[in-house]
Amino acid sequence: MINTKTALLALWFTLTSFVIFGCFILKNQVHDLERELSKINQNIASDIRYIHVSKAEWGHLNTPARLRKLAQEHTSLNNLKAEQIINYSALPFENESSSVALATSETKDLKQLVKTQR
Amino acid sequence: MLPLGLSKSKNNNFYALQTPKNYNMGVSMFEETSNAVAVQTCRNRMIFAVIGFFIAYLIIAIRVFFVCLPHGVKISLPEEELTEREIDIPSPIARADILDRNGALIATSLPTVNLYANPKKIQNAKDAALKLSKLFPEIDYDTIYAKLTKKRSSFSMIKHDLSPAQQAEVNALGIPALEFQNSEKRVYLHNNLFAHVLGHTDMDNIGQSGIEKFMHKRLTQSSKPLKLTLDMGIQDTIHEQLAEAVKKFDAKGAAAILMDVNTGDVLSLVSLPDFNPNIKIPLGEKSLFNFITQATYEPGSVFKTFNTALALESGKIKITDKFDATKPVVVQKRKISDDHPKNSWLTVDEILTYSSNIGSVKMAEKVGKDGQRKFLQNLGFFEKVQDFEIPEMGRPLFQSEKNWAPITVATVSYGHGISVTPLHIITAFSAIVNGGIYHNPTLIKSDTQKVSKRVISEYTSEQMRQMLRNVVLYGTGKKADIAGYEVGGKTGTANKADKGSYAKTRVTNSFISTFPTSDPKYALLVVIDEPQGIKETWGYRTAGWNAVPTSGKIISSVAPQLGLKANFDLEAQRAHIKAVQ
Repeated sequence: MINTKTALLALWFTLTSFVIFGCFILKNQVHDLERELSKINQNIASDIRYIHVSKAEWGHLNTPARLRKLAQEHTSLNNLKAEQIINYSALPFENESSSVALATSETKDLKQLVKTQR
Repeated sequence: MLPLGLSKSKNNNFYALQTPKNYNMGVSMFEETSNAVAVQTCRNRMIFAVIGFFIAYLIIAIRVFFVCLPHGVKISLPEEELTEREIDIPSPIARADILDRNGALIATSLPTVNLYANPKKIQNAKDAALKLSKLFPEIDYDTIYAKLTKKRSSFSMIKHDLSPAQQAEVNALGIPALEFQNSEKRVYLHNNLFAHVLGHTDMDNIGQSGIEKFMHKRLTQSSKPLKLTLDMGIQDTIHEQLAEAVKKFDAKGAAAILMDVNTGDVLSLVSLPDFNPNIKIPLGEKSLFNFITQATYEPGSVFKTFNTALALESGKIKITDKFDATKPVVVQKRKISDDHPKNSWLTVDEILTYSSNIGSVKMAEKVGKDGQRKFLQNLGFFEKVQDFEIPEMGRPLFQSEKNWAPITVATVSYGHGISVTPLHIITAFSAIVNGGIYHNPTLIKSDTQKVSKRVISEYTSEQMRQMLRNVVLYGTGKKADIAGYEVGGKTGTANKADKGSYAKTRVTNSFISTFPTSDPKYALLVVIDEPQGIKETWGYRTAGWNAVPTSGKIISSVAPQLGLKANFDLEAQRAHIKAVQ
């Protein structure tokens, strides 16, 4: 029975040592994680601030007045007007045959273009 | 050392409850046997408990060992939870952003720093003032020196809202008495574009006008951006066209508002002259005046729209009824005549199309004072526009019921003798064309159902739409007839009041329109203040020559942006294309 008692005590101490050691490691890991979390939170806050400022800058760069000025300087595009939008069916085809002829000639040109590119 | 209450029993090798020494004294054999059984039971239970504890302890120890040593803790959360988890991180700014209806940023706050000095710590005030005045040329040396040498003070503000570069430069000076204070600056990305809607804030970021003032509590209590009903692109288009009109007609100012007739959402609100809210504005500045919400003016013939609706809705007048417009009408010794006399009997439709004052007066007289007052009250013309999210609101001017004389009935029928704001006009007009439902106008995008009421019948509304279309097709609104968009509207040229009478050359012109009239979606009101006659208009300064073409240009640019499908007259379009070819 002494052996049993000794074995139990040994087991008790071993387990206690494990638990103490484990707790120590766990505490260290928690500290590390907390430090990491704090750093991540700081980085997130900094990123959010940066994104916020970037959004403001993006908004400033996309002001319609600025875009219009750039478009006028670098392209020949103007504002779309209602008169420029027409129905397909309003296109001035004289008759069905002429439209078919036009379509056929366009298809031929397209095929020729594809051949040349090959 | 044994745990409390346990002792080593002589009869066995385990631990049992301590037995008192006089335990067997004076008891029978039977009792002794019974106690032994109890002790045995107790012992067995103890063994079970101890084994249970050991097993639990062992499991915890092993688990702790594995958790700590090999690879640490592995969190295995479902993928959805990992990707969609919202982390509550405080916003870097205290005042919420303002967005347009599409989510484009129009007002935000940027983190900045304020520079202040602690005069108690200053060592060489002259040198510091010199260095700072070189760094900030807008503040002179004497001012800075006075601030640095302020007696009995440990805080003296030098400059607000430094840029990061300026902050770095101040740091580089190495003056220990200079310190920074975190702050934020309200920034309006589009400068003047939304000036009268957004308003502005003061140096302490407290709203002083516009939405900034009205929604101050909301903007400071929640970091969630505030979404408006305004559309940045459309606002810019209208602003540009309006500025062009002011320049072209040498006008004193101009204003325009575009509204969704079915919801009361304001898509654009422009008032010129305007101001740049990023710059400090002196109080009383004329440009601070919001013409759309504050200006109460006699709208002139635009008001005939409401008079016609009143006539039809009263049930006393039918659209086919004719009125004698051959000669001027006299009311309380005052002669009322037409600007463009037709000298004939006119139907209700023709009265509106040709903008006949005489016809309008006769219709109003037939309906009567009470009917007129009740109708106008129902359309909101006797009070401030309700629930609009701008504090700068004008109150209508009109005669009291007692003073509402026959001449008032007559003049109000063609838009004189009553002063209302453009916001009143467009809100009531929207109700007239949308099927008869009055919606309170709003600037804040919201999914909740808004307060609305029926003011005219659907049938009257339909008749009104047809007549308004006729004004554009055959009347004074021809220059706003944009192909495909079925514009309908009414012009108004009102002479301005001047020392008890009406000025002859100073007018306020309006054109209220809706498109498309077959299924109205939007209403547009353009007001031009004191336009001048120019060569292109043959010297005329009436609304048909300035407010109408400006509205036409605006509708032409804005309708495609709004995604409205044009309803073309194919034959007319083919003819137009052929003519161009």
